[in-house]
Amino acid sequence: MAVYVNFSHMQVGDMLPTVEKDPVTKTQLVRYAGASGDFNPLHTDDAVAQKAGLKGVIAQGPLIMGFVGQAITHWVSKRDLKRFQVRFKGMTFPGDIISVSATITKKVPEGENLRILCHTEAKDQKGALKLTGQFEVLYPVDIS
Amino acid sequence: MVPPPFAADWARVNPLFCRFNEGKWKIATMADKSKIGVKLPPYVLKVERVKIRELMGAIGDDNPIYLDKSKAEAEGYPDTPCPPTYITMAFQEFTGAYLEIFKMLDVPLEHVLHGEEEYGYNAEIFPGDVLHCQLSCESIIEKKTKSGSLDLITLQTIFTNQKDQTVLKARSLIIERL
Repeated sequence: MAVYVNFSHMQVGDMLPTVEKDPVTKTQLVRYAGASGDFNPLHTDDAVAQKAGLKGVIAQGPLIMGFVGQAITHWVSKRDLKRFQVRFKGMTFPGDIISVSATITKKVPEGENLRILCHTEAKDQKGALKLTGQFEVLYPVDIS
Repeated sequence: MVPPPFAADWARVNPLFCRFNEGKWKIATMADKSKIGVKLPPYVLKVERVKIRELMGAIGDDNPIYLDKSKAEAEGYPDTPCPPTYITMAFQEFTGAYLEIFKMLDVPLEHVLHGEEEYGYNAEIFPGDVLHCQLSCESIIEKKTKSGSLDLITLQTIFTNQKDQTVLKARSLIIERL
């Protein structure tokens, strides 16, 4: 069984362990296009991207959201995740190494649970922001 | 002789006010606010195990609860639940939902930026589920910036499974630049 973050022992302002992804690859963008159905050539064809004034293909925003989703259900059980929202902030290029971090911004008891709100960010190896977001967790407090 | 379309006349006056869309000149206007509340005809998305695997492979997420039924069962799920961003595929080419709604709102694709995405989870989605998808335009707000005006278009989609249970609500903020 997976080991999740124990929010009972954590406070507002605490950070969850940062998740670092492997470098983004062009193959990954092609695979994500196929998986998601986002076939905009800006993500898969360098010539099209260069025509649009970019140095080359850029990652699909929802792929980076997928990285954050991966990190979230690494931290918390899927069934406890109630809401997940992101705001796309910057372009991601092949070779970028994305790190996903999160900080607890709210911790409120709700019945036998804790309602936890976290702020999350995805940044590359230079610290450039790719997205910010928040997620809400209804965490069952283990009283045993 | 066919008289030139109205927008083409405008193009001669000032091409900046016009855009060429689907073979026709149109006067460049922001999204039509009377279209707030517009709904796409409901469409269906079948949840397929192979598409979940494909998405997990593309993301590079090897979390076994999404891939291995026995691991999911060990955590108390009846089957592998869908990962948090599975529903992203409900809007693109497999359903054509975004293309359809942008057409209805008269928003050209090349002016569109995806600003925000939000998912509210009510219940798990499993392979084999048949999701009924209802997409509507929730709001259109015009925003003035230094470089011109923007339309902030909020699309909402409600996903209901074959047991008539609302499993997920998605909200996308689309930015239209003139």
